[in-house]
Amino acid sequence: MGNKLNGSLGLKRSLRNWIVVISFLSPAVLLYGIFMVIPIWEAIRLSFYDWNGSLTADLNFVGLRNYTETLGDPIFFLAFQHNVYWMVFDLIVMVLPVLLLAVMISKVKRGKLFFRAGYYLPAVLSLPVVAVLWGKIYDPLIGPINVFLRAIGLDFLALNWLGNPWTVLTSLAIAGVWAFYGLYMILFLAGLQNIDYSLYEAADIDGAGPIRKFWSITVPSLKNTMNVIISLVIINGFKSFGIVWIMTMGGPFYKSELLATYIYKAAFINNKFSYGSAGAVMLALVVVILTILFNSTREKGD
Amino acid sequence: MKKSKSLSQLVLWITLLVGLFLVASPILWVVLGAFKTNTEIFGSPFALPQSWKLDNIITAWNLGNFKTYLVNSILITAGGMLIVFLVACPAGYALAQLKFKGSKLMFYFFLLGIAIPIQSIIIPVFYQAKSFGLINTLTGITIISAALSLPFCVFLMRNSFKDVPSEIREAAVVDGAGEWKSYFMIMLPMAKPGVVTLMVYTFMHIWNDFLLPLVLLVSSDKYTLALGLYSFNQENVTEYGYIFGGTLISMIPSLIIYMIFQRQFISGMAAGSNK
Repeated sequence: MGNKLNGSLGLKRSLRNWIVVISFLSPAVLLYGIFMVIPIWEAIRLSFYDWNGSLTADLNFVGLRNYTETLGDPIFFLAFQHNVYWMVFDLIVMVLPVLLLAVMISKVKRGKLFFRAGYYLPAVLSLPVVAVLWGKIYDPLIGPINVFLRAIGLDFLALNWLGNPWTVLTSLAIAGVWAFYGLYMILFLAGLQNIDYSLYEAADIDGAGPIRKFWSITVPSLKNTMNVIISLVIINGFKSFGIVWIMTMGGPFYKSELLATYIYKAAFINNKFSYGSAGAVMLALVVVILTILFNSTREKGD
Repeated sequence: MKKSKSLSQLVLWITLLVGLFLVASPILWVVLGAFKTNTEIFGSPFALPQSWKLDNIITAWNLGNFKTYLVNSILITAGGMLIVFLVACPAGYALAQLKFKGSKLMFYFFLLGIAIPIQSIIIPVFYQAKSFGLINTLTGITIISAALSLPFCVFLMRNSFKDVPSEIREAAVVDGAGEWKSYFMIMLPMAKPGVVTLMVYTFMHIWNDFLLPLVLLVSSDKYTLALGLYSFNQENVTEYGYIFGGTLISMIPSLIIYMIFQRQFISGMAAGSNK
């Protein structure tokens, strides 16, 4: 009897518990489910069909054809190479130089907050602002780069930076660095705050110079921050879209085409929605695999 | 020793100042350009404007419909922040504090969304919006912007609520307060730093977003400030002065918000690592 009473009370309690849990979670699950989880599933499904984007048109199952066609397209391959170039460029100009900047800001005694806020400024701007702004900086006529080059007599160097197939990708990547480095600087500054100060004092006693201290204390102590930043740089390198789309739309001659602009063009300009989905799924795979890889090495390192 | 220390500080300070000037010079150049006539822009690109006339800014404002864009951006961002607050906080709370079967699985379910790039799902998102009749509506983009920032926001709030000792919740519930009441009255106020970070992240995410407005918004009366500047630039490529004016207009709101909430911004973005 007592047991039975307890049982139904327990059932009631667990039912109430579930109602509470559901009331807290269901709005998020619904929104996220409808606008993200279903689209993830749909992107995968669409990539195996032939579909022109019309809601009334039939879906024809084509197996891996979209994938083989995408992988066989030299422009897709070119876009992939550009993403890799973008990523390597960012790794070289962003990681160590920005760490150096963060170390300098953390060392300066006067105006530390001013410098931190000032250097972060570009990161606050939206990508269209960044893209329009840099589009004008690279402008062949009024752009300050060319005006300066002409003024010092280097007219032959005053190129059409975004129109020249050899300079376009690097020019865009530089604008990207300007827009994003602030983020990494903040992460480095946060990491620097956590370094045990006594390590430096010990190194001072040993008579180590600043360069020695940087390489043997600062860099190793920032291992985790470094890991986060390198993984973000790589992942963001694969996700780049806005700057390139606004400034060049992947041109000239596909010389600044990236995976994201390739997918966008295939779907929304050429109405090849299922074809674009195959590219989209491959992009997601690359990013997800990289994310998992970095997270697992990070956990191993801890 | 002391003298060399203060000398190195001076060198450091000057280096940082010169570097800051270089980094900020594109912004300065646009601000100055916004006050120049086209003749000045061509003739003396590095000089100060001859007079501080607002002509470019006013023309851009009227010609480019920037008032509409600004209002749309404010509505969409504020609406999105409200949805995220109402939806992500309880979900993060449930994952951090409530005990139920499958809570870990639920957490991984949300985590999945953080890794997926929006570019990869933008095609089905567009069709999902289409089937709900949400294309080219402010309501639609508000809801979908909020939905796409949810995975990270839930993750963020789960971490913030993990920092609140669970004894506090248990004591409140034993005292007879319902779960929702103790959430609103006691737990949410204790997670305030997390909520501030959440709001800064969401603001940046929605206010600066480009891809989603580009795909979902069709007519210019629905454009956001970010998308509006993009189309204004396309339509007036050679009108340098107007474009500088329009760029300045688009920059000002973010800069003002940044100046006011600078500290929260920096910690919020460090947590978000996103743009």
